[in-house]
Amino acid sequence: MVDAKQTVTEIVARADALYHDLEFGAVKRWKETHPGGKVIGCLPTYAPRELAHAAGMLPVYLRGAGDQVEIIRGDAYFQSYICQLPRGMIELALSGRLDSFDGFLFPAICDVIRNLSGIWQLHFPDKLARYLDIPQNFDVEVGGRFYAEELRRLLTDFEQLSGQKVSDDALRHSIGVYNTHRRVIQNLMDLRSEKPWLVPADETYLVLRAGDVLPVEEHIEMIKQYLQSVVELERPMRDHSRVVVSGAFCEQPPLGLIRTLERAGCYIVWDDMTISARFIAGDVSTSGDPCVALARAFIEQGVESASVYSCKKKKGSELCETVRKAGAQGVIFAAPSFCDPALLDQPMLQTALDQESIPWTAFKYAENLGQFQVIREQAGTFSDSIRLWGA
Amino acid sequence: MILTCGIDVGSSAVKAAIIKSHPGSGRAREGAELVATHVERIRRRDQRHVIRAVYDGVLEAAGLTESDIHYVATTGEGELVDFRTGHFYGMTAHARGALFLEPQTRAVLDVGALHARAISMDADSKVVGYRMTSQCASGSGQFLENIARYLGVTLEEVGALSLEGDRPEKVSGICAVLAETDVINMVSRGISLPNILRGIHESMANRLAKLVRKLELDDGIVLVTGGLANDIGLVHATRAALVEHGIDSRVETHPLSVAAGAIGSALWGGYRYERLSPDTKQAA
Repeated sequence: MVDAKQTVTEIVARADALYHDLEFGAVKRWKETHPGGKVIGCLPTYAPRELAHAAGMLPVYLRGAGDQVEIIRGDAYFQSYICQLPRGMIELALSGRLDSFDGFLFPAICDVIRNLSGIWQLHFPDKLARYLDIPQNFDVEVGGRFYAEELRRLLTDFEQLSGQKVSDDALRHSIGVYNTHRRVIQNLMDLRSEKPWLVPADETYLVLRAGDVLPVEEHIEMIKQYLQSVVELERPMRDHSRVVVSGAFCEQPPLGLIRTLERAGCYIVWDDMTISARFIAGDVSTSGDPCVALARAFIEQGVESASVYSCKKKKGSELCETVRKAGAQGVIFAAPSFCDPALLDQPMLQTALDQESIPWTAFKYAENLGQFQVIREQAGTFSDSIRLWGA
Repeated sequence: MILTCGIDVGSSAVKAAIIKSHPGSGRAREGAELVATHVERIRRRDQRHVIRAVYDGVLEAAGLTESDIHYVATTGEGELVDFRTGHFYGMTAHARGALFLEPQTRAVLDVGALHARAISMDADSKVVGYRMTSQCASGSGQFLENIARYLGVTLEEVGALSLEGDRPEKVSGICAVLAETDVINMVSRGISLPNILRGIHESMANRLAKLVRKLELDDGIVLVTGGLANDIGLVHATRAALVEHGIDSRVETHPLSVAAGAIGSALWGGYRYERLSPDTKQAA
């Protein structure tokens, strides 16, 4: 019998190596084993990866340069009041680290990503640089129809890039594969809220981030193995507070910051750091027109996020619901500095929490932040206040 | 009866305390008894090794075994304590420990090896405000320890020697490097040890008084905790500095002030133990 501890150690080590590899060795290896295969880099927050998968491509989420690369060229493109992620993207591209990518998808999140897509078109004319519009109207007959058409146009672009015609059956198969992916991720999230001491925040984060670069089938197996092994471990249960982390859906916090929050006495029982793969809650229909099914799922099953304009529900109601479902005792708003969507939504979310007497604290970060002492003090004090002075 | 152990892992010493408290005694832990304390300096030893030694030491002093302890509560660098049940942030722990040692305490001056902070609190030890020294080490214990080493005296001797000083020499209160240069100059000028040390204490006390002033305290005692709490020279100088800054609060110390963080976390551990789920209690 394979030792569970060893399995978990190996999985996490592999995920850690993928996380730290900004040369994208996994992408290069995929291309070697898939001659002629195309790779599409997807910016946050949500990309319909099913389309790329059906076209025989490898969709890879790109989330900036993190805290590993010194930004020199990237800074020349953006004013000081712009977030860090696009600088990291430019730095990666200009330093040749993204040469193995054949195209890039820029989902509509904010003006910065929109402008980045323009910069990309000017600088890398030989690569596909596709801006993906998402609906602002959440009526299936209006926004849904628009988005289904947008998905069809995107699929045509992917077909041209890959040189592979995509049948409806092939797309339905890909939707099925991603449905499985969503289910195993949900299983991991469920374990996280039930027994957070078994799945430390940094470990879960790395395992989920591995899905940014791995083929989806491989990532499904990785999560399954991790789940199977981690429940066998004897990890100590601590008297920590249980918190939800919100606002980190695009530019990612450094790994050190995630560790800091847990070391400060907080079990992160839910977060939106890796929301990309969880953006559609539940299965997407595998019958009928697959583009319509994907569009419908986005409209009807898309999670609340500041990166999407939505008037489906009162702002913050879904966050309050998440807090309740995850059994959290408070919310930590961790947003990247200068992130317009996150920081503009934050007051509305905080008001919603206040109305339900859910405690919260807030701080900002950048992906290349190196000092966590102040955040540690803030998170630690927040955790103490929840446990000692909360209801 | 609930037995809890608090372990305060500092940068230069590890402190532990065992508290016995009654079930149902809430946050106040009325009737709680301090069973034992144990403190060891880390020096150049492995921190985890020292933590284990301190835990074993406090258990032995209390006549208890590990299985008797219901909750191990940490503060400071608590993640180094693998067997901890829960962790409490330094200010929360020091405020609680200070209230236990001196019930009239309404502010804490925690002077540790690497920083100093002033914490204001209410009558239940809830932290209501704080001020910390900046990154410079000139207000910290490590600085004082370095100076003591240069002057060839032990930390334990520093306080009493400082009280003998009658013409203290002014030392830079802004920068530890400048202050050390000042001290070297004083030695070469033949300034006596007591006057050098008193000058250093006054410089540190001035910084501490500025922190306390920003808390805008109404009344109550300011209890000195942390590694320098037993330095009588510093406490004396701080008393004088508060008067100079027009602060009415009384500065006190306690023989167990060094262990205030450990005591506080042990007390909070007792409170939390009663609120744990059965699963967590079993794991604890």
